[in-house]
Amino acid sequence: MATKPDTIFRALDRKAAAVTEFTMRQYRTKISTWVVLIVGFMVISLLLLFYVDGMQKDYESIDNDGDSEDWDGDGYPTGQERLYGTDPSSSDSHPGLLVPPVEPDPPEKWIDEDDFDWDSTPGSGQTISVGYDDDGDCDRDDRTDSQKDSNDNNVPCDIILEGPQEGLNDDFTVEADNFVDEDPDDAAYAKEAIHRASVLAIGKLGFVFIIGIFVPLFLATGLIRDEMSSGTMHYMLSKPIARTEVFLYRILGYLGIVWPYLAILVFISAMVTGLAGPSDSFFRFSEFGIWLSVLFAAMLATLVYGMLFCFFGVLWRYGIILAIPFAAWELGMALLSMGVPEASILKFSVIGWALTIVDSAAMLVWPDLDLFIQMGWWGGGGDGTGLFGSSIEGTAPLTYFSSKPSLGSIGPFVSMLIATSVLLVQAAVLWLIGGILFKGKEIE
Amino acid sequence: MMPDFDQSGLPETKEWVPEQAAPVILLENVSKTYGRIHALTGITLSLSGGVTGILGMNGAGKSTLFKILMGKIKPSSGQVRLFGTNPWKNPAPYARVGFVPEHEKMYDWMTAHDFISTFARLNGLTRDEAKIEADRVLDFVGLLDVAHKQIGRFSKGMRQRTKIAHALVNDPDLIILDEPLQGCDPLARTTIMNVIRELGRMGRTVIVSSHILHEIERITEQIVILHYGRLLALGNLHAIRERLDKIPHRIDIGTENPKELAKSIIEIDSVHGIFFPQGKNLSIQTHNLGSFHSDLPKAIVKSGQKVESIDNPDDDLESILGYLTGGGRM
Repeated sequence: MATKPDTIFRALDRKAAAVTEFTMRQYRTKISTWVVLIVGFMVISLLLLFYVDGMQKDYESIDNDGDSEDWDGDGYPTGQERLYGTDPSSSDSHPGLLVPPVEPDPPEKWIDEDDFDWDSTPGSGQTISVGYDDDGDCDRDDRTDSQKDSNDNNVPCDIILEGPQEGLNDDFTVEADNFVDEDPDDAAYAKEAIHRASVLAIGKLGFVFIIGIFVPLFLATGLIRDEMSSGTMHYMLSKPIARTEVFLYRILGYLGIVWPYLAILVFISAMVTGLAGPSDSFFRFSEFGIWLSVLFAAMLATLVYGMLFCFFGVLWRYGIILAIPFAAWELGMALLSMGVPEASILKFSVIGWALTIVDSAAMLVWPDLDLFIQMGWWGGGGDGTGLFGSSIEGTAPLTYFSSKPSLGSIGPFVSMLIATSVLLVQAAVLWLIGGILFKGKEIE
Repeated sequence: MMPDFDQSGLPETKEWVPEQAAPVILLENVSKTYGRIHALTGITLSLSGGVTGILGMNGAGKSTLFKILMGKIKPSSGQVRLFGTNPWKNPAPYARVGFVPEHEKMYDWMTAHDFISTFARLNGLTRDEAKIEADRVLDFVGLLDVAHKQIGRFSKGMRQRTKIAHALVNDPDLIILDEPLQGCDPLARTTIMNVIRELGRMGRTVIVSSHILHEIERITEQIVILHYGRLLALGNLHAIRERLDKIPHRIDIGTENPKELAKSIIEIDSVHGIFFPQGKNLSIQTHNLGSFHSDLPKAIVKSGQKVESIDNPDDDLESILGYLTGGGRM
C-alpha cells in the first residue's frame, strides 16, 4: 500500500523520468543513432576545416592608389616621394637627395598605408564625419581646399557617413574626400569578414539547418512508429499512461540525446573559431554569444522538427516520405532568409524563426556588423569616381550569410524573444496534434 | 501494492473510481471489422474471477478481442467495459491490468530485471519500489536467478516468463495472456501453466488464449471458444467434453507388434473397430472415449506388448469445433 497520497506531479515525474531514461538508453543501443551522430559530427568538422583553411590563407593586399609603385625608377615609392615633396615622376628628384638623405621605404609600406578610421556608427538618418588621412596624400600642400573637401562638408579630408533611414531596409551612404582611407588593410578586413561569414554560415546552415533537420529526420521519425511496427509499443501502452504522455516523454528522451550532442558540437566549433579567428588576444571570447544563440536556435529547431517528424511517423508508417518535401521547403526558406530576410513567407516556416535568433544575436554581439559590411563594399575605393571601386574579399559572403532579423525594427532582443516564443508554440501545437492523432490510433 | 489513485487536491485530475460491483470484463455485442473482413462479430461476454481459456484457431479473433480489451483498437460497434470503464482512449483501468502480448519482439538489450523495473515505474512506482517489485514478480515466474541477464540471451520460454512477470507488476486484478505457451519447451510450459493456475487460485481474473486444447485443458475448465470471430461456446470444458466423448473417436497406438495388441483391445466394449494403417501402428475407433481410456491400460497389460505412443488426433480443438458447428469429422 502507498503510505501517503501521491500528487499527480510525483506520479507524472516517475512516468516521465522512466520513459525518458528508457528512450535515451534505447537510442544508445542502436547503431543507427551513432551513424547519424557521427555523420553530423563529420559535416560540422568539414565545415570547420574549410574555415580553418580560410583563416590560414594569405589575402592579397591591394594598392588602391598605386603609391607603392616607383614610377620613375629612383628606388623610392611614389607615396614616400609625395610625403617628402619630391617629384614622383622624375628620377632626379627623390628623398635620397635631401639633407640628411632618407633611406627608401620598402614598397609594401605603401600598399595598405591608409586604413579605415571609422570609429563611430551613425544612427538612423544621422550624418557623421569619420576618416583620417593616415598617409597625408589628401592633405597635401599642392592640393587646393576644394580638392581636399570633395564631399563639400567644409571638413577637409574626411568621410561623410549617413546611417540608414529608419524603417527602410536601407544601406549606409558613404561619401569620402579623395585620398582618405583609400588604402585599407585588405588582408585584415578579408580575414575578419571571412571569419564572421564562416561563423554565421556554420551556425545557421551547418547547425540550425543541416544538423537541425537531418538529426530529427533520422532519429525522431521512428520514435513511436518503430515501436508500433515492432509490437513493443504494447509493453508501454498496457500501463496506465496516456498516449499523449508517451509521445511527449519519448520526445524528451530524444532531446536528452540530441541536445547534449548539439552542445558538444557547438562548443567544439566555438573553440575552433575562437582560436583560429583573427584576434588581438589568443581567443575571441566575444563570439561565445553567437555560438550560444546557435546552440539555442538549433535546440529549438530539433525540438520542433522532432515533434513534427515523430507526428509524421504516427500519421503514416512511411512518415519519412512526408518529411522529405517538408525538409525541401525548409531548405528553400533557409536560403530565402539569407537573401530576402524580410520575406513574409518565412513566418510559415520553422527555420525562418530559428535563424532570426542567430541573426539577432549577431546584431547584439557585432553592433558594427552593418557598418563593417559597408566598409567592405566601399572597399577604400569610394572616392566617388569609381576609380578603385570594388569590394574587399569576404564582403560578399558576409553580406549573404548575415541578415537583419526579419521582424523589422523592433530590436534584436525582442526579435529573439518573439522567435523563441513562436518556436515553442509550434512545438506545443505539434505535440497536441501528434498526441491526439496517436491517442486515436489503432495499434495492431 | 495498490495503484495510487487518490491523487486528491488537484481538480484537473480525472478521478477514477473503480466500480466494485461491475464485472471485470464486460463485452456487449462487440464487433470489429476491417473493411469487409469481420474480425469479431457480436461478442457478448462477462467475466469475473478465475482462469478463462479463450480457444480458437489462428485468425479466430482472439488477439483482436484482447486488443479491444487493452484499448489498442476501437470496436466497430458494441460496448466494452473494463472494471466498468470504457478502455478506449482511457488508460486508467490499466493500473489494474497486466497484459502479455503475443508479439515476440522484446527489448533484447535490457536485462529482465531492468525491463520490468523500468516499465514498473509507469505504474507510478518509484525507482526503488520498482526494483523490489521486479524482484518479486521475477521470483514468481522463477526467473530470479537470471534476472540480470540480457533478454536477448533468453530461451523462448524464459522470454515468455519475462513477459508474464512484466504483466504481473503492481499485482493486477486482471491478467490477459495472448498465447503465452506458444513456442515454449515442455518445462517452460509446465512452469507457465503453474503460474497461471496459481494466479487463478489467488483470486485474480486471468484470461489466456491458445489454439491448442490440451494446453487450456491443463490450466482451466472455464472456456470461451471463438470461431471465425463469433463466440461459439462458453462454459465448462468438461461438459463440452462429455458430449464430445459420445461421438466416434480415433486413437492411434504405436507398438512393436500391432496384431498382438489388437487381440486384447478388441475385447474392450467401447471399441468399434480396429485398423492397421502402417507397420507399427494401430488405429482404433471408439464411441465412448471416457470408458475406452479407463479400459485401455488393463488391455495393454494383458497383451504384454510395449506401447510406444498413444495419440488422440481427434481430441483437439478442430474436432470440438467440428462438433459444435455441427459438421463433425470421421
